[in-house]
Amino acid sequence: MDTEIDKSDLANSLVLPQSGRVNETDAVAERIEDAAVTDQVAARHHARHATYIYLPFIFLTVTLLGGLRFSGGDGSFIFIAPALICLVFALILLILFFRARLISIDGWFTEEFSTLKNLANGSVVLTLFAASAQIFNSLLPERGLPFWVVAFCFFWILWNNLFADFDTKKLLRSLGALFGLAFVAKYMLLANLTAPAERSWLRSLFENPAQEALTWLLDLPRFSPVTGYVQFFAVSLFFLGLFLMPSSTLNKK
Amino acid sequence: MKEKYIHFIAIVIVVTYGGIIVFLYAAEPRSIEEATSKARTTIETIATKGTVVIGTYQVDAAKFNDGLAAFRQDRFVAARDSFELADPEMRDPRTQYYVAYSYYRQGWGRISNDDQLFRRSLEILDRLKVMDPDFRSDDADLKAASPAELRKELEEGLKVTTSDLNPLRVFRERM
Repeated sequence: MDTEIDKSDLANSLVLPQSGRVNETDAVAERIEDAAVTDQVAARHHARHATYIYLPFIFLTVTLLGGLRFSGGDGSFIFIAPALICLVFALILLILFFRARLISIDGWFTEEFSTLKNLANGSVVLTLFAASAQIFNSLLPERGLPFWVVAFCFFWILWNNLFADFDTKKLLRSLGALFGLAFVAKYMLLANLTAPAERSWLRSLFENPAQEALTWLLDLPRFSPVTGYVQFFAVSLFFLGLFLMPSSTLNKK
Repeated sequence: MKEKYIHFIAIVIVVTYGGIIVFLYAAEPRSIEEATSKARTTIETIATKGTVVIGTYQVDAAKFNDGLAAFRQDRFVAARDSFELADPEMRDPRTQYYVAYSYYRQGWGRISNDDQLFRRSLEILDRLKVMDPDFRSDDADLKAASPAELRKELEEGLKVTTSDLNPLRVFRERM
């Protein structure tokens, strides 16, 4: 009996500290797991905020600013609605986003989602479409020969891209180059060829006849230089939106 | 925050912000002050249309009385301005009859009438016929109490006949 008691005591004494150690390790592991889960939940929460709150806000701000110009005379607002061609370009751009997997259709619209989620996703994609249309509105010259030349270049490049193999990075790089060049052409090159609005045409004709002649020949609108700064901000904001855009809204486990 | 609330907020942001953008591009304000005043006008118009839809539309009595006072003093342009403010949706037969009558009285002349004003009066009478075919004014000051009488007077005024050359026309009375 004694030997038995001793044995069990011994066993207890051996096991107890060991099981305590096991419990401690479990608790630590559990805590680490909990922390990881909490981090994951927080990350998912942030991602949700970014997708459903920041993204629509960013894209709608781009939509607002894309058609905004400032008059060269008195600096008043001029709101220019997008031309029909801008909507066509925006549609092609969306197709490119889907093809390059920047946006995965299955990850944004599926029967597994609730109607509310599908609607919310639809509204975010709609803001992306509106922002894309307004970016083209921003970068295309307003009228005349420059409008048709730049529109043709855009169409050529986008059409060509439709049949090229793209991944997300390459597409974004290509778009950066395309929009950057268009921005330079419109807000730096053409803007410098435009005679200032505050000068009378007679004075402009004497002081800078080439500028006045080009303004008249190319039918260039006389906007305030502030327009270029606002549009630079709009284009940058558009790219920030694309950077934040998740390819899917499916919850990753 | 629950996922569904975030989805709901996203839809609200898109609808609200999108609505503001559509308004700005439709109204094309040239400054922030103009945007505010245009927004106020738009909200007032929407509110008036809302009252029409739910059937609580009413004429602004104070503005109508201002218009009536101006009408009685033969200040017809001012009267019409007040009537327009009193009945912005042009749905009140009584107000519209006064508007038509103001065009008639303004256009009436002893020697010749203003055809353009008479035609405007007829246009309003056409609209009035659709609104209330049996309308009759209870104002004793208006000699033509019904739209039919006023229409007859207007149509007579627009016609060119030999009676127009009658010198006794200068003694005729305005209705």
